[in-house]
Amino acid sequence: MADATITPGAKPLEPGPLVGWRRYVYATNHKDIGTLYLSFALIASLVGTFLSIAMRLELHEPGLQYFTNPQIYNVFVTAHGLIMIFFVLMPALIGGFGNWMVPIMIGAPDMAFPRLNNLSFWFLVSSFTLFCSSLFFPGAPGSDGAGTGWTLYPLLSTKGHPGPSVDFVILSLHLAGASSILGAINFIATILNMRAPGMTMHKMPLYVWSILITAFLLVLALPVLAGAITMLLVDRNFGATFFNPEGGGDPILFQHLFWFFGHPEVYIMALPAFGIISTVIATFAGKSIFGYLGMVYAMVSIGFIGFIVWAHHMFTVGLNANTQAYFVAASLLIAVPTGIKIFSWVATMWGGSIEFRTPMLWAIGFVFLFTVGGVTGVVLANAGLDRVLHDTYFVVAHFHYVLSLGALFAIFSGWYYWFPKMTGYLLSETIGHIHFWVTFISVNVLFFPQHFLGAAGMPRRIADYPDAFAGWNFVSSLGAYGAACGAVIFFIGMAEAFYRKRPAPANPWGPGATTLEWTLSSPPPYHQFEVQPRIS
Amino acid sequence: MRIRSPLIVIASCLGMSCGVAHAGFGQPSPWQTGLQESDTTVMNALVAFNDHIMLLITLIAGLVFALLVGVMVRFNKRANPTPSKRAGNLPIEVTWTVVPFIIVLVMTIFSYRLLYFEEDVPTADLTVKATGHQWYWDYTYPDNGNFEFSSEMLDDQSRKPGQPRLLAVDNELVVPVNKVVRVRVIGGDVIHSFAVPSFGIKVDAVPGRLNETWFKATHEGTYYGQCSELCGMNHSFMPIAIRVVSEEKFNEWLAYAKNEFGQSARAPSPNKTAAIDKYNRGAD
Amino acid sequence: MAIDPRLEAEMARASPPPGPAYQLVEPSPWPIRGAFSALLLASGLILWVYNLIWPPWIVFSLGAVGVAATMIGWWRDVVREGEAHEHTPLTQLSLHYGMLLFIGSEVMFFVAWFWAFFNSALFPGDSIQVVRDKVIGGVWPPQGIETDDPWGLPLLMTAILLTSAAAVTWAHGRLEKGDRRGLKLGLIVGIALGVIFTCVQAYDFTHASFDYSGNIYGAVFFMATGFHGAHVIIGSIFLSVCLLRAFLGQFTPKEHLGLTFAAWYWHFVDVVWLFLFMFVYVWWA
Repeated sequence: MADATITPGAKPLEPGPLVGWRRYVYATNHKDIGTLYLSFALIASLVGTFLSIAMRLELHEPGLQYFTNPQIYNVFVTAHGLIMIFFVLMPALIGGFGNWMVPIMIGAPDMAFPRLNNLSFWFLVSSFTLFCSSLFFPGAPGSDGAGTGWTLYPLLSTKGHPGPSVDFVILSLHLAGASSILGAINFIATILNMRAPGMTMHKMPLYVWSILITAFLLVLALPVLAGAITMLLVDRNFGATFFNPEGGGDPILFQHLFWFFGHPEVYIMALPAFGIISTVIATFAGKSIFGYLGMVYAMVSIGFIGFIVWAHHMFTVGLNANTQAYFVAASLLIAVPTGIKIFSWVATMWGGSIEFRTPMLWAIGFVFLFTVGGVTGVVLANAGLDRVLHDTYFVVAHFHYVLSLGALFAIFSGWYYWFPKMTGYLLSETIGHIHFWVTFISVNVLFFPQHFLGAAGMPRRIADYPDAFAGWNFVSSLGAYGAACGAVIFFIGMAEAFYRKRPAPANPWGPGATTLEWTLSSPPPYHQFEVQPRIS
Repeated sequence: MRIRSPLIVIASCLGMSCGVAHAGFGQPSPWQTGLQESDTTVMNALVAFNDHIMLLITLIAGLVFALLVGVMVRFNKRANPTPSKRAGNLPIEVTWTVVPFIIVLVMTIFSYRLLYFEEDVPTADLTVKATGHQWYWDYTYPDNGNFEFSSEMLDDQSRKPGQPRLLAVDNELVVPVNKVVRVRVIGGDVIHSFAVPSFGIKVDAVPGRLNETWFKATHEGTYYGQCSELCGMNHSFMPIAIRVVSEEKFNEWLAYAKNEFGQSARAPSPNKTAAIDKYNRGAD
Repeated sequence: MAIDPRLEAEMARASPPPGPAYQLVEPSPWPIRGAFSALLLASGLILWVYNLIWPPWIVFSLGAVGVAATMIGWWRDVVREGEAHEHTPLTQLSLHYGMLLFIGSEVMFFVAWFWAFFNSALFPGDSIQVVRDKVIGGVWPPQGIETDDPWGLPLLMTAILLTSAAAVTWAHGRLEKGDRRGLKLGLIVGIALGVIFTCVQAYDFTHASFDYSGNIYGAVFFMATGFHGAHVIIGSIFLSVCLLRAFLGQFTPKEHLGLTFAAWYWHFVDVVWLFLFMFVYVWWA
């Protein structure tokens, strides 16, 4: 731009990427930023997985073997949850695949606010730095780290943790929240404004719809979390009494505010997963998604209803029975649009010509396992049953089925699907299939028995358990070690692809892959669609 | 494509409802797959409702599973090389919207029955108050002499044979059988949760908030639960133990307790005090 | 990465360029600088509060300087790009959506504070909350709390803010008619009133009969009105930047996104105040 030979009034197109680290640090290209997010999520997933293996090692047998100070176990529980949600699932599904594919799928050259896009990414790095710092500062008396659970309930997170650790966690969440809010604004502006001519809203790929709806959820839900954790901050450090009853405060206020964010948060993780599954199933069944409009409205309903069901996480705090009754009804209602999606995916495969390529294995696995997780959610939505199941391993099983067997499977599905496009290399189908089966069997061995543990009364977040729970805990831990092996296979597969360098064509998947990314080379040019395609 | 046997899946799900693999009596038993055996009127209702729900969700998951298997067998590339172009069918879409809606509606009605049965506290024969502390419970009998005592987990040295690890306590909450017992629960420092799975009760112990639940125990015996809200270092080690006895025995115990326990909670045992002191001093 | 101002001015006089309908933004150092500054600001706050470093405020201050520098540098780039006609009509539309959504997120932030307020104000006699009941006496405002007379300073503050918003709206209208003098006058009045509001609010805060800490009324009152006050300051700064740009000859009757967005922000601040006035000051006085 400082080149004096520029013709006044004409803006030359960017010549190409900067060289070296500047390309990524100063990035304003959605594909580069998507790559940053995916790499970040990969690194964070190693930390998150390490934490979970450590926990399963402890729970392998009754007694305290490794966590002689059980507060450290609580710190691991907290870190595992926060890292997986904010630094793995969200960056991968939204920042990673969203940034990479949304502009291409709508025929746009980039996001609406390319610089803001980069800020969203680097905010996450700052956020993760703050979070990791929290592990090395005093939390509860006698130890470091925040052992409050990802839910940060006061008064454990206020007077129960006098040290600075929880403050680091709070500020980390502020930055992560800002990252997501700005990213969401970016996605909404991009999707509403920058679609190629002829691409009406009702011609948009379902993945784009899923990101659009997710973005609205982020803009509306995250600021409420910001308010709640700010109240925590001032209660902790400046003498405020939002949650301290002796000052007239109410600990349950935090829970309301937290879950008002917290429930939409789980749909923020599920909706992009739904989008990926729709894309992959349509591709490998060789036919378009069954009931496109129903799928769109289902996602919109899930997003909307997701805002008015939060207190089903609070059935045991002593809410009025009528209040509980309302939340039972509203929560059960979400089963309807979710069911529509499951049946539509099956109907898409019906009459299709299914190829069991690796992405499709993960997608089919998702359909069944998300159903299992979803129906246990239906069980929990009944406050009468939640009475015995709340804060037990039944809940842990439920959300891991929809997250580790749902959202994670969708990430792997998307990864195998888009890896050739992003890198220009083909992944090995064989290794991919092995990865899938090892993981599929392991995570089911890991999490299915946890339903039994919860039903039998084993509470959450405990480092040691009564001896009767030993059997299923042992089985569950074996599943964890298997899943870790699956992760190793995953990395082997990637290393193999980068080593063998099998070139990927523009479209390795066949005529079923109809979204716009498959019309570009693999990898795509640095800038695409500088002249936008016309969609018929 | 190798698929895990559906029968095992179904059996396990049903196991969760029928309590196959000997459900515990007041405590879990090894390899248990279902809810603990019911020992109160509320838990009876809960188990019955749970049985129906478990059956329903097993059928739903089974249906989806069967559809997926069928679709994979009938419509894979070899079996069906040309995919159909059908992308919608209004009657089917309406059906799979309306039918789940009706199922959910009916479920809500039965769910409400259970909910209101649990939450409407009947006239109480006995009231007890439970205060959650880091990391033990205090029990008060406000209408029977207003005495209070602490209930701490027995560590490995203090436990006698037969007392379950991590569940047995030094002083149990003693109540009479077949009487409506109202339990008022509050937190003493941070949020805890008073839970007894075989009674079907769980209510959070929130500082500043006097929550309430109730039960009517149908059998004598000792019933255990564990703190059910993360409350710090020893969250795993502050169980609840309720001893249900005949009315006679209960009155005998009351007389003993009024004598033994004063008007305020006995201080926690010496080694427990030492541990808490060490904790508060910040030592490792 | 920054544009030479003389080239800038030349390009500003030229007509919109041919090329893509969208603005492809050059690589920029502001995101990384901003993120790093935010890290310093956040960790600096903790180091300060817990006295873990000497001087206690050093890291926080570095962070604050970094954040301020990033905002100035980044928005200056945006202004320059705008003045160089890089903001195509579609980009401008995106910017409108962006500002609207950002204000939407700020509204949700205030929802949290109002929720905290209503949690106590609507149900002061919630008998299940035994300790709170004893402390606040089952009433709102709590027993022993002397609240402001809403028809005194608060009413004055309402008048000030409403007038200020009117001045800004008027200024916007004058610009659209080409009256640059009116634009500047309206902005000056609007900003001045905003500053006066802040001063009156500061007086009110320091002369409140209740403390910020130790009681729930103080907590919800000061945090809700305090965050509002912070937004008034931010809005005043935004308007001041617009005033500066007005003096620099920027903004045309047709294109003046910065002013439009500042005005939107100012109206948002005003509406939040009206809610505060209605519920916190008047209804539960």
